[in-house]
Amino acid sequence: MTLTLLFTLGEEIYGLEISAIQEIVEDPPLYYVPRAEGALVGAINFHSQVLAVIDLSALLGLPGEKRDHRRVVLTPQFKSLVLTVGSIHRIVNLDLSELQPTPSSTGGKAVRGVANQDETPINLLDTNEVIDLLRNQST
Amino acid sequence: MRVEISYKFIVGFLVVVVSGVIVNLVVPYLQIPPEFQQFFSVACALVVGLIIGAVFSRAFTANIRRLTSVGDQISQGNLSETIQLKEGRFPDETSDLAKSMNHIQESLRALVGDIRGIAFKVAGSAQNLSSTSQEVSASAQEVAHTVNQINRGAETQAEMVEKSKRIFNDVARSINQVATAASKVAESAHQTVDTAWSGSELAGASLDSIRQVLVEAQSSSQQMFNFIGQLQRISKFVEVINGVAQKTNLLALNATIEAARAGEYGRGFTVVAEEIRKLADSTTISANEITTLVEGIRTEGHLVQSSMGQVIEEMEIGREAVDRTNHAFSQITQNAEVTRSKATNIAELTAQQISSAEQITRAIDEIDKVVSDNAAATEQVSATTQKQSASMEELAMSAQNLSTMSESMLQIVKRFKLVKEE
Repeated sequence: MTLTLLFTLGEEIYGLEISAIQEIVEDPPLYYVPRAEGALVGAINFHSQVLAVIDLSALLGLPGEKRDHRRVVLTPQFKSLVLTVGSIHRIVNLDLSELQPTPSSTGGKAVRGVANQDETPINLLDTNEVIDLLRNQST
Repeated sequence: MRVEISYKFIVGFLVVVVSGVIVNLVVPYLQIPPEFQQFFSVACALVVGLIIGAVFSRAFTANIRRLTSVGDQISQGNLSETIQLKEGRFPDETSDLAKSMNHIQESLRALVGDIRGIAFKVAGSAQNLSSTSQEVSASAQEVAHTVNQINRGAETQAEMVEKSKRIFNDVARSINQVATAASKVAESAHQTVDTAWSGSELAGASLDSIRQVLVEAQSSSQQMFNFIGQLQRISKFVEVINGVAQKTNLLALNATIEAARAGEYGRGFTVVAEEIRKLADSTTISANEITTLVEGIRTEGHLVQSSMGQVIEEMEIGREAVDRTNHAFSQITQNAEVTRSKATNIAELTAQQISSAEQITRAIDEIDKVVSDNAAATEQVSATTQKQSASMEELAMSAQNLSTMSESMLQIVKRFKLVKEE
C-alpha cells in the first residue's frame, strides 16, 4: 500500500506517490522567467531556492483550463520541480502491486500504469518520464 | 143792419095787414061797386101777401139752397167751395150759418190737410220703420250668427280650458314628481355627503396606516440592508474559515507527506493528519454550505429588498392614490353639498311652483266657470236675439200694416178736395 496524492489533469485523475513529493505549497508568487517556453510557466521562491514551475497539463498535452492554486514541489531526487495540476484532491492509500497497463487508446504520456480506487481508474504518474519529457523539450 | 128772420116775417105780416087796411081805406074812393069792394080788398091783400111771401121765401130758399148744396159737397168731400151768400141789406141767420159752415170747412180743410200730412209722414215713417226693422232684423240675424259663432267659440274655449286643465293637471303631477325626485336627490346628496365624509375619513385612516406601513417598510428595508451587511460579514468569516480549512487541509497534506517521510515513526501521525484533513474537508464542506446558504439568503435578501423597494414604491403610489382618493372624496363632498343645496333649491322652487300651479288651477277653474257662464250668457243672448228677431219681424209686419193703414188713410183722405179744381 502506498500513499498517493490524487489530482486531476484534464478530465482524468492522476496519482503521485508522496515519496516523490517534498511539499505542497499554497499559491506562492510566480515569477516570470525570460525566454521560457513550453510547459515552463515561471519560477517560485521556495525556502530561498528558485524552483521551476511546470504546467503538467500543458506538458502532457491534456485539455483543461482549470488550475489548482496549490503547487506540488517534488523532492530534489526529481530536480525539485514544481508542478501545477488541475486540482489537488487528497492523499489515499493505493495498492500499486496490481497496476493495469495503460490502455493504448488513451496513449497517455508519463503514465506508469492504472490503479483502481473505488472503481475509479487512476493514472499513476511516471515522474522520471516527466523529467525526460522536459529534457527532450528543452533540447 | 142785421134782422132776424122772425122779425122779417113779422114785418111782412105787418106789411100785409097794413096793405089790407090801406086797401080797405082806399077802396071806397075807387069807383068800385060796393059788392066788389070786399072782394077787391081781399084780392089786394092776397096779392100783396103773395108778393111779399114770394120775395121772402125766394130770399130764404136761395140762401138755404146754397147752404144745402155746399153741405152736400162737404158731405161728398169737396171742401174747396166757399159759401158766398148774396149780400142782402138785411143779413140774417143764414149768413151766420154760412159763416159757421165756412169755419167748419176751414177746420175740416186744415184737419184733412193735417191728416194727409201726418198720413204721409206716417207712411214715410212706417216705411222707414219697415226698412229699419228689416235692417234690425238683418242685424239681429247677424248678431244671431255671431252669437252662434261665439257659442261655438265658447264651446271650443270650454274644450280648450278642459284640455289646458288636463294638461295643467299633468304639469302639476310632473311638478310633484320633480319635487319628489328633487327631495330624493337632496336625500341622496346628503347620504353621498355622509358617505363621502366617511370615505374621506377612511381614506385619511388608510393614509395614516399606509404612512405607518411605509415607515415600517422603510425601516424593514433598512433592517434588511443591515441584515445583508451582516450576511457579508458572515461571508467574510466563512471565507476566513474556508481559508483556515484550506490551510489545514494543506497542512494535513504536508503532514501526511512528512509523516510518510518519517517512515514507520510517522505512521500514527499520518492517521492524525488524515483526521485533520477530514476535519478540514468537512469544515470546507460546511463552510461551502454556509457560503451557499449565505448566498441564498443574500439573494433572497436582495430579492426581499428589491421587493420591499417595489412595495415601498407601490405604497408610495398607493399613498398618492389614496391622497387623490381623499381629494376626490373632498371634491365629491363639495359637489354633493352643491347638489344638495341645488336639490333643496329645486324642492323649494317646486313647492312654490306647486302653490303657483294650485293658483293656476284655481284660475283655470274660474276661467272654466266664466266660460260656462259665457256659454250660458251667449245661449241667453242667442235666445234673446231670436226673440228680438221674432219681435223685429213682428215689428216689420206692424210697420207694413202701419204703412198699409197709412196708405188707406191717405186714400180715405184723398176724397177730400181742398183746392178748387180748375
